Amino acid sequence: MTVVLDHISKSFGFLTVLHELSLSVQAGEFMVLLGPSGCGKTTALRMIAGLETVTSGRIAIDGRDVTDVAPKNRDIAMVFQSYALYPHMTVAENIAYPLVIRRGARADIDRQVRDVAAQVQLDPYLDRYPRQLSGGQRQRVALARAIIRRPAVFLMDEPLSNLDAKLRGHMRAELKHMQHALGITTIYVTHDQVEAMTLAHRVAVLNKGRPQQIDTPRQIYEDPANLFVAGFIGSPPMNFVDGALADGLFECAAGRLPTVVQSHQAKAVLGIRPEDCRLTAPGEAGSLRATIYSIELIGDHALLTCRIGGQSIAVKVEKDFSREIGAEIGIAAAPERTYLFDAASGQRLR
Amino acid sequence: MRLSFSDWFDRQADRLFILPAVLILLAFSIFPLLISAYLAVSRFQLTAGGYQLRFIGWLNFKKLLIGGEQYHFLGVFAPVPWYGWLLGAAVVLLLARSLASYIRSGKSTVIGLVGRAVTTMAILALTVLLATTIGAGGQLGSLSVTVIYVAVGVTCQFLTGLGLAMLCSQNIRCRSFFRVVFFLPLMVTPVGIAYTFRMLADMTQGPFAGLWRLIGLGDLSWASQAWSARLVVMVGDTWQWTPFIFIVLLAAIEGQSREQVEAASLDGASYWQIFRDVTWPEIAPVASTIVLIRVIEAFKIVDLPNVLTNGGPGIATESLTLHSFINWRALDLGGSAAVAYMLLIVSTVICASFFNYVMQPMRSRRQ
Amino acid sequence: MSRWRGLFESRRFGELAPIPKFICYALLALWSIIVLFPLYWVLVTSFKEPVDVAYPPKFLPFIDFQPSLHAWHYIFVDLGNDTFRPYANSLIVASVSTLLAVLIGSMAAYALSRIEYKPKLGSIIGFILLLALAIVAVVHWQVDWRLAVIVAVVLFLLLLRAFGRYFRRHLGNGDILFWIISQRILPPVVAAIPIYVMFQKVGLLDTHLALIITYTTVNLPIVVWLMYDFFAAIPRDLEESAQLDGASRYRIFVGIVLPLAKPGLIAASLLVLILAWNEYLLALFLSTAKAQTIPLLVAAQNATRGPQWWYMSVLIIIMIAPVVVLTIILQKYIARGLLLGAVKG
Repeated sequence: MTVVLDHISKSFGFLTVLHELSLSVQAGEFMVLLGPSGCGKTTALRMIAGLETVTSGRIAIDGRDVTDVAPKNRDIAMVFQSYALYPHMTVAENIAYPLVIRRGARADIDRQVRDVAAQVQLDPYLDRYPRQLSGGQRQRVALARAIIRRPAVFLMDEPLSNLDAKLRGHMRAELKHMQHALGITTIYVTHDQVEAMTLAHRVAVLNKGRPQQIDTPRQIYEDPANLFVAGFIGSPPMNFVDGALADGLFECAAGRLPTVVQSHQAKAVLGIRPEDCRLTAPGEAGSLRATIYSIELIGDHALLTCRIGGQSIAVKVEKDFSREIGAEIGIAAAPERTYLFDAASGQRLR
Repeated sequence: MRLSFSDWFDRQADRLFILPAVLILLAFSIFPLLISAYLAVSRFQLTAGGYQLRFIGWLNFKKLLIGGEQYHFLGVFAPVPWYGWLLGAAVVLLLARSLASYIRSGKSTVIGLVGRAVTTMAILALTVLLATTIGAGGQLGSLSVTVIYVAVGVTCQFLTGLGLAMLCSQNIRCRSFFRVVFFLPLMVTPVGIAYTFRMLADMTQGPFAGLWRLIGLGDLSWASQAWSARLVVMVGDTWQWTPFIFIVLLAAIEGQSREQVEAASLDGASYWQIFRDVTWPEIAPVASTIVLIRVIEAFKIVDLPNVLTNGGPGIATESLTLHSFINWRALDLGGSAAVAYMLLIVSTVICASFFNYVMQPMRSRRQ
Repeated sequence: MSRWRGLFESRRFGELAPIPKFICYALLALWSIIVLFPLYWVLVTSFKEPVDVAYPPKFLPFIDFQPSLHAWHYIFVDLGNDTFRPYANSLIVASVSTLLAVLIGSMAAYALSRIEYKPKLGSIIGFILLLALAIVAVVHWQVDWRLAVIVAVVLFLLLLRAFGRYFRRHLGNGDILFWIISQRILPPVVAAIPIYVMFQKVGLLDTHLALIITYTTVNLPIVVWLMYDFFAAIPRDLEESAQLDGASRYRIFVGIVLPLAKPGLIAASLLVLILAWNEYLLALFLSTAKAQTIPLLVAAQNATRGPQWWYMSVLIIIMIAPVVVLTIILQKYIARGLLLGAVKG
C-alpha cells in the first residue's frame, strides 16, 4: 500500500500549479501535504485520486502504475472537504453505497455497514438523513463511507476545516487513533500546521506549487530547510531579523549575536523561535536591543511583542512578567537555537 | 402639522406600488372570468337592434356533454380496443396504488382525501373517455385531443430535452454553439413554425418528397388522416418547446455539486449509476417545476392546430381553445364560453393535482 | 485493459471514451440539423421561383436552382403598405406592452418582497360577489353600467363598514403572489370573449391600445414571478440606509433597487417582448385590419396564398428575424431568467 509520486507536475494551459513533486509514502504512513491556499496540495491529492490528469510524471500505488487508470480502479477512498454525502440517502445507505455499486450481497453489506458505523460511533444515526446531522457527525459518515471499502490508500482533503475549533481538536484525536488502528496509508491535505504537526508521520510542505521540505514533523520544526518552512511552522511563528553574517557573528542595527554558521553572507536573515528567546539587560554583549511594544497574557505564559528597528519580535515570557510597554530590553538566544537563511534565496545556511 | 401632498403620496407608496398590478388583473382577469361564467350559462342571439342574452342555466354544458355538441367536445363512442383496455388498466393500477399508500401512511386528512378523490376521478374520467373514443369507428373530441397533445407532447419534450441536456453537459467542445442553436426554436413565432412545418411535411413539394416516394408514401396526404395530422401538430409542438426544457435542465445539471459526482465516481459508479443516484435526485425538483409550467402552457395550444390544419381533418386536430374560437366565430358566444370554462376546469384540476401530488412530496423530501 | 474496453470506458475522469464521445457528438449534430433545417428551408424557399418549388425538391441555391428576389420584391414593394403596417403594429404593441408589463410587474414584485400585505378574506369575497351582482344587473336587467358600478362600489364600502369586523381572516403575501402567478393558468380564450365585448362597448376594438392593455395583463404574472426572487435576494441594508437618509420609496425603487436588479429586468423584458411579438390568439380576437399584427398577417395569408410558398417564406422570415437575432445576441439572459423562475418557483 505504498504510494510513489515520481516528478509529477500539473499545468493548466500556461499556468503551472505543481512543479515536479516527488514523494514516497510508506505502507501505513500518515503523510500530510501542508501549505497555504494555492500551493498545489489539493491538486496533488486530486491527481493521486485520478480526478485530475497528470501533465508529466508517474504515480504508482502498491508498485502498480496508475497514472492512466480511472479513479474507481485505483483502490483509493477519498473524504472531501464538503463530505459530499448524498442528501436523499440515509446514513446507512450513504455508507453502503460503495458496496452496493459493486454489487455485494445485501446481508453482507448490512453487516459491514453496522460494523463500520460502530467503529465511528454512528450506530444511533443509521436511519437519519445527512441534513439531520451535525457537522461532526456528517464527517464521520464520510469517513465511514471511505473505510468500508478497505482501500489501499485514504485521501483526505481538509476534512476538518468545516468544523468549529473545539470539535476540530476532538476529531483530530479520533482521526489519529483510527488511522493507527486501521493501518491504512493516508495522504492528508491541510493548510493548518497544527493538524499537520499532530497527525502526520511525515509532512510535505508546499509553496506555490513547489515542494519545500519533506520530513517528520520534528525535523521540520527543528531543522527547517528554508525561510518559508521556518516561518510557516510553529505557533506563534518564528521571528526573523534582517542583517549580515560574517565570521560566526550575525550583525544588525540592534546588535550582534553569535551563531554556529561560519559562512559569509552580505544579506542574511536570522530566525529565532519565541520560546528560544532569552531576555537580558539592554546593550549586553551578544544580544539585540529591543523596545517592548505590547504584552499579551495567554494563560500559562505571556507573549511579548518587541520592536527591533522596524521589525517585530515575539518572545515567550513567564506569566508574571512585570516590565512596561516602551521599556528597553535585550534579546539573546543560544547559538544552536538560531537559524540563518540567505536573504535572497531563502535557503538555510549551515 | 399639515400634510403636504408629497408626504401623503409617500405614505401611499405601499399601496400604490401594488395597486396598478392588482387593478389590471382584477379588471382584465377576474372581471372577464365572471362575465365568461355568465356567458357560459346564457344563450347569445343577434337581434334587430343588437343582441340578446338569455339565461339558460346548464344548457350549454349539457349540449357539450350529452347534447348536440357531444361529438365535438367528447367525441363519438366506439367499442374499446385492446390498447384502450391496457391503458385503462395501467391507469387504474397506478391510481389505486397511490391512493392506498396515502391512506396507509396514516397521515391522511379529510381535505387530503377529498383532493385525491377529485384527482382520481378526473384522471379516470379522462382515461375512460380516451379509451372509449379511440377505437375504430369512434372519433376523438376536442377534449381528448387536447389531453393527448398535453400528455404525449410534454412527455416527448421532456425526454428529448433531458437527453439533450445530458449530452450537452458532457465534456464537449462548442457547448455554447449547441446551447444557442438548441434555444432558437423557442423564440420562433408559433404561426411561423406552423406554416414552416406545413411546407416541410408536404408530400409532393416538400424537401422530403423524394424520401416519401422511396418508401411508398408519396400519395399520402397527411392532412386528410386524423392521426397523421395530429402527429404533425405534435412534431411541430415538440420542435418548438423542447428547448424550454433543455435549457433549464442543462443549467440544473451543470449546477449540481461537483464533489458528490466525484465521490460517486471514486466509489465505482458508472455514468448511469451516477445519473440515477446523484444527478437525478438533485435536478428532480427543477424538472418537475418545468414540466408543470410546460403542462400549463400546453393546455392552451391553438396556433399550431389552427394554422397547420385548421382543426382538420374535420375536428381531428382541434384543441379546446380552437374549439372555443370556432364557436365564437359562429357567433355561439354561450357555447364558446362553455368550452372555455371546461378547459379552465380541466387544466386547473390537472395542474393542481400535479403540483400537490408530484411536486410537493418531492420538495418536502428534500427539505 | 483490452482494446475493446478502452473504446467504451473512459480512461480519464470527466472525459468520455471514444465511442460514447462519437455518439454524443453525432446525436447533438443530429438535433442541430433538426433545429436548423426548417429555418434553412424557409430561407432558401424565399429565393425560389414558383417553378423551383415543384418536385423534385431543391436544396442548394446556385447549384440546384437560381435564386431570385422576386418574392422579396413583391412583398416589400408591391405589397409595401400591407406588409409594413402589421410590422409596425407588432413593434409598437410589443414594445409598449413590454415596457408597461415590466414596470408595473416589478413594482408589484418589489412591493410583495418588502411590504407585508394583509387583505381581508371577507372584503375580497364581498368584492367579487358585488362585481357579479353588477354584471348580472347590467346584462340581464339592462341596467346602465355606470349606475351599476356606482351602486356596487357604495354597497361594497357599506358592507365593509358593517361586517368588516366579522371577517378577520387575513391573506398574506404568499397568497397574493400565488394568485398573480396562477393567472397564467387561465387560458386566454376564457377571458378573450368578455374582453372583446368590453372593448367593443368602449369602441377600442382593432386599436393598438386594446392589444397593449391585453398583452400587459397577460404577461404581468411572468414579470412578477421572475422579479420577485430577484428583489427578495437584494439585501435590505441598502434600502434601509437610504430610508434613514430620508429617501421616499419611489426614489429608493428607481435609484437603488432597479439598477441592482438589472439582469432580472433584462431577462424578464426579453421574455415578455418575445411572448408579445409572437402572440396570436388574443390578436385574432381583438384586431381585424388596422391593428393587425404580423402573426395575424401570416396566418391570414394562409388562406389567400396557400400554396404560394415563396411569398409565405418571405413573410415568415421577416416575422421571425427580429426575435431570432435578439435571441442569438441575448440568449444568456433569457436562459438565466427561465432557470431562476424554475428553480425558485
